[in-house]
Amino acid sequence: MQIDAGARTDLGRVRKNNEDNYLIDSSLQLYVLSDGMGGEAHGEVASQLAVQTIVTHCRQAENSRATPTFGESSPDVSERTNRLASAIHLANRKVFETAASNSEQRGMGATIVAAWIEGQRLSLAHVGDSRAYLLRAGSMDQLTADHSLVAEKVRVGILTPQEADASEMQSVLTRAVGTSGKVEVDTDEQALLVGDFVLLCSDGLTRMVSDPEIASTLLTSANSQEAAERLVDLANEYGGVDNVSVIVLRILDKSESVFGRLKIWKRRSE
Amino acid sequence: MPRLVLKFESAALKEVPLGTSPVTIGRAPDNDIQIDNLAVSNYHARVYVEAGSLVVEDLNSLNGSFLNDIRVERAMLKDGDAIMIGKHQILVDHAHDVAAPLDGLRKAPAPRVNETMILDTHERRKLFEAAAAAGERSQVSPERSRVPTLTVLKGRTDQKEYRIAGKLTVIGHSEMATVRLRGWFTPEIAAQINKHEDGYYLGRGDRVPKINGISIQGLTKLKDGDLIEVGRVRLNFLYRD
Repeated sequence: MQIDAGARTDLGRVRKNNEDNYLIDSSLQLYVLSDGMGGEAHGEVASQLAVQTIVTHCRQAENSRATPTFGESSPDVSERTNRLASAIHLANRKVFETAASNSEQRGMGATIVAAWIEGQRLSLAHVGDSRAYLLRAGSMDQLTADHSLVAEKVRVGILTPQEADASEMQSVLTRAVGTSGKVEVDTDEQALLVGDFVLLCSDGLTRMVSDPEIASTLLTSANSQEAAERLVDLANEYGGVDNVSVIVLRILDKSESVFGRLKIWKRRSE
Repeated sequence: MPRLVLKFESAALKEVPLGTSPVTIGRAPDNDIQIDNLAVSNYHARVYVEAGSLVVEDLNSLNGSFLNDIRVERAMLKDGDAIMIGKHQILVDHAHDVAAPLDGLRKAPAPRVNETMILDTHERRKLFEAAAAAGERSQVSPERSRVPTLTVLKGRTDQKEYRIAGKLTVIGHSEMATVRLRGWFTPEIAAQINKHEDGYYLGRGDRVPKINGISIQGLTKLKDGDLIEVGRVRLNFLYRD
């Protein structure tokens, strides 16, 4: 698939430092976004270490099949998706060990949402409350389930989504990368179509801008970079209480043409 | 000016300065200190200044207000007191605007309101176990141990029945499809089924599938026995033992 990618991160209007981070490897079609936590400048350290570790690990795995795997592999998902989860397990270990060896950084951590595209398959992995959305044919679905206290309460039915949106507890995460020696990583896969949008974002966007407004911004922008910038501007316009980061991916075309499909058909019929 | 600090575990969630009007505490959203926990009554308690003293008053709440571990209906508050409501703690802080002494020791930065924090896994488990014990709806679906299958009722496919395994099941002509549709002009990815924590969800691809005759709008959870139509193919979604 050919992908038009755009990204933007911003301090917002209230915070004094930007603890968000993102990293894109367009040759691998790998996209990683992270929201750090931990006060002072430590959130920045955690999110940067996390995204760099993830991209480095995936690059290594592409070059050498002997690259070790971290965490347990799942038979439910592809090798690529398992590799992405492995990268997050490794990032967890690195952030945790760094924090443990430096008393000032103790307790630092980060959210992660990562997307890796191979052919038509989108691999997703995430920890925390940074999200992935898929916008297809005008309707947008959240692909990730937030690992936050309010979202988990909504899922077990002890809080309504409206109560969750108004809650003081929105910033309480139930999972993060680097805050303990082990982390549970959620994975998902999607089959991509030409015209799809995939959005990765930190909670600084979704707390400020509603889903319909996000969708219409994606649909009315000339390209992914413009969409990313407009989304960040909207979050700031509505108050910008947190750092805000977005990665916008638009699926343009698939490398396999009709001609290629004819060849596959011919091969099968032989 | 004294203030009240709402805390959960070790994290400060909110600070409310005490002025002339009472500070209300409860589950309803119009409280000054809102606590979204079922153990907290809608209008649980209030704190106000009376004749120069700070007072906490329980508003006939179901589970009570506790001052330093003792259930109280009405009590005077002093600096450093802790009011417990449910699992939340409200600290009375008189010394807010007094500059902290420079003792050369660097204090750990206190979590501010809205600053992201992590809830300890153990605490999280306790919280959700408590919710489950209180008779809340459980997340575990009865279908979990059974195998989801798709039976082809009509249309050209490469098999007559499929066991759904894995997070992504593609229906289409694509090489990555589990349910391979045959024939020219069939879309690469007509529709897809995604496994989520609570079940299987049908989503559109190049076609908008129907469930029991109705076109889906966004991801839709599949129920045992659902009839799925994608183009000219009809499939029966069934859980089997």
